Amino acid sequence: MQLSSRIFLGLFCLLVAILLLAPTLVVIPMSFNSNKSLAFPPAGFSWQWYDNFFTNPEWLLSLRNSFLIATVVAILATTLGTLAAFGVTRAAARTGGLLRAILITPMVVPGVVLAIGIYAVYLDTGLVGTVAGFVFAHTMLAIPFVLIAVSASLEVFDRRLETAAASLGAGKLTVFRTVTLPLILPGVLSGALFAFITSFDEIIVALFITSPYLKTLPVQIYSSITRDADPTVAAVGTLLFLATSFIIVAGLLIGMRRGRT
Amino acid sequence: MSALPQTDNQTAGGRPARRLNLRDAGWLAAPAVLLLAAVLVYPLAIIVLRSFSEPEPGLQNYIWFFGSPVNRAVLQRTFVLSGWVTLASLICAYPYAYAMTVVGKNLRLILILCVLVPFWLSGVVRTLAWVILLQDSGVINSILRGLGLSPVKLIRTQLGVVIGMTQVLLPFMILPIYSVMKGIDTRLLQAARSLGAKPWRAFLQIYVPLSLPGVYAGAIIVFILSLGFYITPALLGGPRSTMLSSLVQNQVLSLLNWGRGGAMGVVLLVATFILLAIAAPLMRQKHTQTRREK
Amino acid sequence: MKKINFGLAVMMACAVSVPALAQDKAVAGEVAEGSLKGKTLTFVSYGGIYQDGQVAALQDFVQKSGVTLLNDGPTETAKLQAQVESGNVSWDVVDTADLPPYVHCGTLFQKLDFSKLDISKIPEGQVGECSVPAMNYGVVLMYKNDTYKDNPPTSWKDFFDTEKFPGVRAIDGSGDPVGGLIEQGFIAAGGDAKAMTADDIEKGIEKIRALGPDTIYWKTGAESQQLAESGEADMIMMWTGRAMTAVKNGAQYTPVWQDWLVVMDQLTIPVGAKDPDASYALINAYLGKEAQEILTEKTSYTPINLDSKPKVDDATAAFLTNTPERIKQGFQQNIPFWVKNFDLASEKWSALLSGN
Repeated sequence: MQLSSRIFLGLFCLLVAILLLAPTLVVIPMSFNSNKSLAFPPAGFSWQWYDNFFTNPEWLLSLRNSFLIATVVAILATTLGTLAAFGVTRAAARTGGLLRAILITPMVVPGVVLAIGIYAVYLDTGLVGTVAGFVFAHTMLAIPFVLIAVSASLEVFDRRLETAAASLGAGKLTVFRTVTLPLILPGVLSGALFAFITSFDEIIVALFITSPYLKTLPVQIYSSITRDADPTVAAVGTLLFLATSFIIVAGLLIGMRRGRT
Repeated sequence: MSALPQTDNQTAGGRPARRLNLRDAGWLAAPAVLLLAAVLVYPLAIIVLRSFSEPEPGLQNYIWFFGSPVNRAVLQRTFVLSGWVTLASLICAYPYAYAMTVVGKNLRLILILCVLVPFWLSGVVRTLAWVILLQDSGVINSILRGLGLSPVKLIRTQLGVVIGMTQVLLPFMILPIYSVMKGIDTRLLQAARSLGAKPWRAFLQIYVPLSLPGVYAGAIIVFILSLGFYITPALLGGPRSTMLSSLVQNQVLSLLNWGRGGAMGVVLLVATFILLAIAAPLMRQKHTQTRREK
Repeated sequence: MKKINFGLAVMMACAVSVPALAQDKAVAGEVAEGSLKGKTLTFVSYGGIYQDGQVAALQDFVQKSGVTLLNDGPTETAKLQAQVESGNVSWDVVDTADLPPYVHCGTLFQKLDFSKLDISKIPEGQVGECSVPAMNYGVVLMYKNDTYKDNPPTSWKDFFDTEKFPGVRAIDGSGDPVGGLIEQGFIAAGGDAKAMTADDIEKGIEKIRALGPDTIYWKTGAESQQLAESGEADMIMMWTGRAMTAVKNGAQYTPVWQDWLVVMDQLTIPVGAKDPDASYALINAYLGKEAQEILTEKTSYTPINLDSKPKVDDATAAFLTNTPERIKQGFQQNIPFWVKNFDLASEKWSALLSGN
C-alpha cells in the first residue's frame, strides 16, 4: 500500500474507532452530576447516583431479575441450541438447511412485531410479568446465537473421532462427554455467553411483557430515561460499560494466551 | 455442505446399533423448534389474524394503513432512513474491517476491542449516551459553539436518528465483513500486481468482489435491524422522524387497536421477508465463493 | 397447654379486633401499625420529582403498615384498560389526569366507598364518584429568556402567535387531550370558550396544529424538564412542579402566570385491583396532613388537606399555585364539557400527535 493511502486509512479507522467507543464514554461524567438532570455539562461532583443505584430497591431488584432470567436463559438456550446444532449439522443436508433457516428467524423478525405478538399471547395466558414468560421469550431469541456458535465448531469437528471412540466400545453418552463435548466446548461456552447477554440486554419484548412486579434492568433504565431524567441511569451505564469492557478484555487476553501455547 | 450425507452414512454404519433409531438427527432440533412454534410462530399468527379480524373481519386495517398519507410517509421514511443507516455503516465499516486484516496483532486487538465493547454493551445505554450528546446544549453543540460555529439541531431530527442508529448498528456491519475478509488470500493481490496491475485496480477488481458476500450479509442485517428499530428512534427522534415501529407500539399500547397495530406489523414483517428473499441468492454466493477459494 | 391458651387468646383478640377495626372511622393520614405486613401495593403515577414526592409523602405509611410499595408509570389509560380487560390488574392505586376518572367511572375505575376514606379535609367540590384529588397544580407557559429578551410573551394568545413570537413550541403530549389548551387555542382563534360546542374542538386543535411541524409533543414530565434544561424549545407548556425543578437546575426560563391552566390530578383504584382495602388504606394515608405537607415541600404542588401548613423555600414558593394572586390568574377548563366529549377529543388529539 502507498504511504498516502496508508495514512488516510489509518486516520479513517481512528475516526471510526472514536465513533464506536467515544460516544458511550459521555455517560461517565454525567454519572457524577450533582444535579438531578441529564443536561450537559454536568455540574459539580457527587457519588449520589451510585449510592442511589446500590441502595434503591427498585434498581437492585431489576438487576437481580435480569441476572436470574439471563442465567436461566443461558442454561436453557445453550441446551436447546446445542441439541439443535447437532440436529442441523448432522441431518441430511436439505433438512439441516431448512431447520437452520427456521431456527434463525428470531434474528430477522422485527422486534416490535414479535413483541406485540408475544404480548397478545401472554395477556391471554397470564404470562405477562412472570419469570417464565421472560425466560420463554428470551430463550427463543437466544437460540440462534447458540446455534451459530455451536454449529461453527461442529462443522470443523472431525466425526471420525466419535466413530473411533465408539468402535472402541464407548457408549453414546460417554463418547459425547469425553470426546465431542470437550472439543466443541469453546463454541458451547461462547454460545452460552451470547445467550446470557441477549437476555440481559433485551428491551423491546421486555417493555411489553413487563409488570410492576417484574422489571428487568433494561426496562428500568428505559423508564428512568423517559420518566425521571435521573443521572442514576448514567451511573448504571458507566457500571455496565466497565463490566462489559472488563469481560471482553479478559476474554481476548485468555484467547490470546491460549493461541500462544 | 455436500459432505454431510456422507458423514451420515458413516455413522449409520460405524455406530453400534442403538435402541433409539433416529433415522434423522434432525429430531434433535425438535425442542428448539417447538419453543419457536410457541413463542414465535403462534404469536405472529395471532397478529396476522387480528389484522384481518379486528374490530371486524375484512381488509379495513390495511385499507386504513395504505389509505393514510401519514402512514405511507412513515413507511417510506422507515425504508429511506434504514437505507441511509446501511450506507453510512457500510462506508465506516469497509475500510475499518480491511484495516483489521492488515495491521499487526496488537493493533488488531485494539480495533477488535473497539467493535466488541459497543457490540456487547446494552443498546439502551448507548442510546442514552446519544441523547446526552445530541441535545441542543449537548456535547456536540457545545463544541460547535466553542468553535464559534452556530449550533445545529440534532435531537428529534432524522439526521440525529441516523447518526445514533449507525453507531448502534455499526458492529453488525463490521463483523461479517471482517470475517469474510479474514479468509481472503492476499497473495491473490500480490499475484495481480506482479502481473502488472496497478494496486488500486487489483484491489477493486480482485479484493472487493471477494469481500462482497460479507458486505451483503452485513448490509442485509443492518437494513433489517433498522427497519424494526425501536428504542433509538423512540428516544432520539421526533414527530418528523417517527418510524414504523413507533406507530405499531402506539397503536397497540396507547390506543389498544390490535387490528391496526397488527396490520402495520404484518406490513413490516412482509417487507422484511421480501428483502430476505431478494438477498438470499446473494448470500448463497458466499458458499460458492469460499469453495472457489479453497 | 400454655401455648394453646396463648394461641386461643390471640385468636380471640383477633376475632374481636377485626370488626372493631372495620367499624373505626377512617382518619386521613392514619394507618394501623403492621396492618399490611407482607402485602405489596403498586402505586402508579407520572414519575420524576412528582412521584418522588408522593413516595416521600407515603414513607410514613409504608413504615407503619409494613407494606411493600412498588412504583410504576407513567399512567396510561390504555395500559390500564389492557389490564382490566385481561383480568390481570397489577396496579393498585393510580394517579390520573383530571378527566379519566369521570369518563371511565365504574368501568376502569372503582366507585369509591367513602366510609373507608376520610375526605373531611379535602377542599370542597374536588371529590368525584370514582376519585379523590391527588393534589392541585397548574400548567404554565414557560418562555426562554434568551429568545424573547425585552419583549416576552404574556399570555396563551402570544403562545399561538408564531409571527410576533417565532420559536419552537413544546406541548404536553403525554396522553389525554389537554382541554385547557384546546380552549385557549379556540380563544386565540377568536372563539368564546364558555360557549364551546363539540364542533369547536377541531377549531382549537387546528390552532395548535398551526404552530407548525417543529412543535415538540413531550411524552413525560421528565422530558419537558429536559427540554427546558437543554434550552431546546422557546416556549414550553409545563407542569408547575417540573417548571420549578427545571429552574432549580439552572434552566433560563420564566413562567407566564396569566391564565395558567388549573389541573387536579386524581387518585383512583382500578376495577379488579387485587386488594382494594389496602388501596383504600394507601389513599387514606396519602390524604393526611403531614403527607400533604411533605408532598408540597418536595414538589410545589398544592396540598389537598386544608390543615396542611407546608414550609417551602423561596424557589418552591415561586411556583405555588394556591396564593390569592395565583388563584385569581388561573384558568379553569370546562370539565363537564370535556367529560362529555372525551372520545371525540381523544380521537382528534391523537390524530394531532401522530401528525395526521
